[in-house]
Amino acid sequence: MQRVLRIQASLGTAIREYLDGQGFTELLPPIIGPVTDPGIRGAKQATINFYGREYKVMSSAILYKQMMAASLGRVYFFSPNVRLEPLETATTGRHLVEFVQVDVEEAGATLEDAMRRAEGLVAHVWEHAKTRLGDELAASGRTLNGASVPFRRLAYGEALEVLSKLGREVPYGVEIPWDDEELLSRQFREPFFIHDYPRGSRGFYDREDPDRPGMLRDFDLLYPEGYGEAISGAEREFEYAKVIARLRETGENPSKYEWYLDMLREGIPPSAGFGIGVERLTRFVCGLEAVWQARPYPKVAGVFSP
Amino acid sequence: MAEPVPKPLVKIEPGRSPAAAQAVESYPVEEIADKARRGRDALYPFSDLDAYGRALLGADIARRDATRFSTLDELVLLPPIFTPRRLEAMEALGREPYFSDVSLETTIGGFRSRLPLTMASMGSTEAAHAAGAALGRGAAEAGIPMGLGENVATVWGYSTRSQARMPSFKERLFAYLDRIADDRGGVVIQQSVEDATDELWNQVYTDPDVEPFVRKGLIGFEVKLGQGAKPGLGGETKVSRDVARSLKGTYYFPEDPEALDRDLYERHSAPGTYTEAILRAQLRSLRNNFPRVRLWIKAGPFRDLLSLFRVAAQERIDAVLVDGKEGGTGMSPAIALKDLGLPALACLKRIADARVEGLRTPYVLSGRLYDGGHAVKALCLGATAVAFGRPFLIAARVGGEAGIRNFLESTAVEMRMLVSSLGKYRVADLASEDVGSLDRALADALNVPFVYA
Repeated sequence: MQRVLRIQASLGTAIREYLDGQGFTELLPPIIGPVTDPGIRGAKQATINFYGREYKVMSSAILYKQMMAASLGRVYFFSPNVRLEPLETATTGRHLVEFVQVDVEEAGATLEDAMRRAEGLVAHVWEHAKTRLGDELAASGRTLNGASVPFRRLAYGEALEVLSKLGREVPYGVEIPWDDEELLSRQFREPFFIHDYPRGSRGFYDREDPDRPGMLRDFDLLYPEGYGEAISGAEREFEYAKVIARLRETGENPSKYEWYLDMLREGIPPSAGFGIGVERLTRFVCGLEAVWQARPYPKVAGVFSP
Repeated sequence: MAEPVPKPLVKIEPGRSPAAAQAVESYPVEEIADKARRGRDALYPFSDLDAYGRALLGADIARRDATRFSTLDELVLLPPIFTPRRLEAMEALGREPYFSDVSLETTIGGFRSRLPLTMASMGSTEAAHAAGAALGRGAAEAGIPMGLGENVATVWGYSTRSQARMPSFKERLFAYLDRIADDRGGVVIQQSVEDATDELWNQVYTDPDVEPFVRKGLIGFEVKLGQGAKPGLGGETKVSRDVARSLKGTYYFPEDPEALDRDLYERHSAPGTYTEAILRAQLRSLRNNFPRVRLWIKAGPFRDLLSLFRVAAQERIDAVLVDGKEGGTGMSPAIALKDLGLPALACLKRIADARVEGLRTPYVLSGRLYDGGHAVKALCLGATAVAFGRPFLIAARVGGEAGIRNFLESTAVEMRMLVSSLGKYRVADLASEDVGSLDRALADALNVPFVYA
């Protein structure tokens, strides 16, 4: 455990090294707000009583980072998130109720830029792990394969075809279920992308391709060897009228997102970015069985722990 | 003799609005109440001496119908002499089949059900909510799916009662789940725009108490795209001042409960904005977020039902419930009752069209349906099941769970009799050949025989 935590700290240093070197500004992460990311696959948001009003604990700080990028250009934060996950996630080995993700956002960036940035970050951390953490990893019996840039890219439809050949039929339009994603990830020895998810399979803030209605300009980066999703990223919707229509996908009254919509009405630049889960990265680098082994005081769905 | 059925069951005050009062007055309350009191005995007009006498003297035992549009009562079932399916049944049984040999067991939108019938979603309005526990227990014991309507958690509390005299959402949910037997039935939970603010579905999906039922496949979520009595309008009801104050920020109140002193305040919820793209994306994200629940859609009597059916089929929705304009117990504006939307029979026509197109989604029809005849006719024209609402409220008021049990027993017997008379013994065998119309235009529209031709 001590070794895992030392490796985790070092991976954090590598992430900052890379992003600072690319001109990003690290910001302090907001923890609570009147609304948070609704696109969290069945999980419930945690709430607090904020002087008589209900506030949310960040399930992700996506809405804030979009605004911060509008102001500072290239930003990131190490953002603690809470998601009250369904009980079924307790045994996936990949879900924590409390976790930290590095949220990265860049004004003016495109989908392609964000994918390259994600690739660059993972390749840098990978190199760091191999050169600077070699002894620690060897002591845990873990060997990392290569991570040769550019990473392989599969369109969502292609990923479904690969799964279909493996006997798993995923209906078009849904995000790839966890066990299927794990199987897919087992087919690869190096990290790879899945891009162009169909509308409805992801959060309202992933931008719909203006030239290909129904298709989103977004991606996941997956670890190989069955470890699954590393990064989720996208170009963002930033136009008021589009966002308000997309928000209806959640079934909510858009009035709930008042501050965010007010900002959009005033106008913000386009941006793109991604989030990378720190515990999942640690789990992968260390070759751990489950993600709860990759942080102090882990919280798993339905398990009462300190 | 049991006490008479009180009028407040139906939430519109007679006298206030003639159109609404007419709709209420014409409802066959006593007929349903009699079934709830006496079970299958109520099927016969001569089951007690007094009624026998009156029936013989020509008392009106016909079903009243004050609506000005065509209903399922304009259709009749057409038993044949030659019955090859009865021969098949006889071969299987080794004897002449009786009506009691009809199997009504079916699957509705992913749930096994003892009858091709569901309990329509009833929400937060006081008439439905106060009877909620009896309704839940009655439906569970009968082995039929039940809808749990919108705004219940938002208005009455999720697990803690917001008003001491009224049950919480979970009390209503578990009134059903605790009585479920043989894994028959299931609960379909609605979420209004306002419930979505509190993430009701996420709360249910992550609730450890509900988890075992999710795992057994007994939970569904119902996307509500309108209701029969007021398609295109949101939910309308009236609430007391203390309730109004606590909900002020969440719903639309034309009169400010802080500023004005009234007995009751109108509470409106939004109808929700949809385009085909929004709906499709919303359905997909529900599948993503809640992969282990059934997904149902409740549609009001909209003119573009067929387009909705196509989206539902493409998105593999488990069932679409279509509520004709006669449906709904809530407070509806009289003008909506009078002038908005397609009658249930017109909705059934859209269902029949969808079958012709080859769409295979299970469809559930509702809207002033209250007996076995309505159910069998709907099934003949392509519905998978029907949903009853008001009959269960009346039955629960008359006799609690036992009232519901008796009412369902008599309805099941009615269905068995009718299906067997058609020479059929499985509901899946019902087809449009089994039904005819008393009206020529209707016969043409539904593509069934005009019985006098």
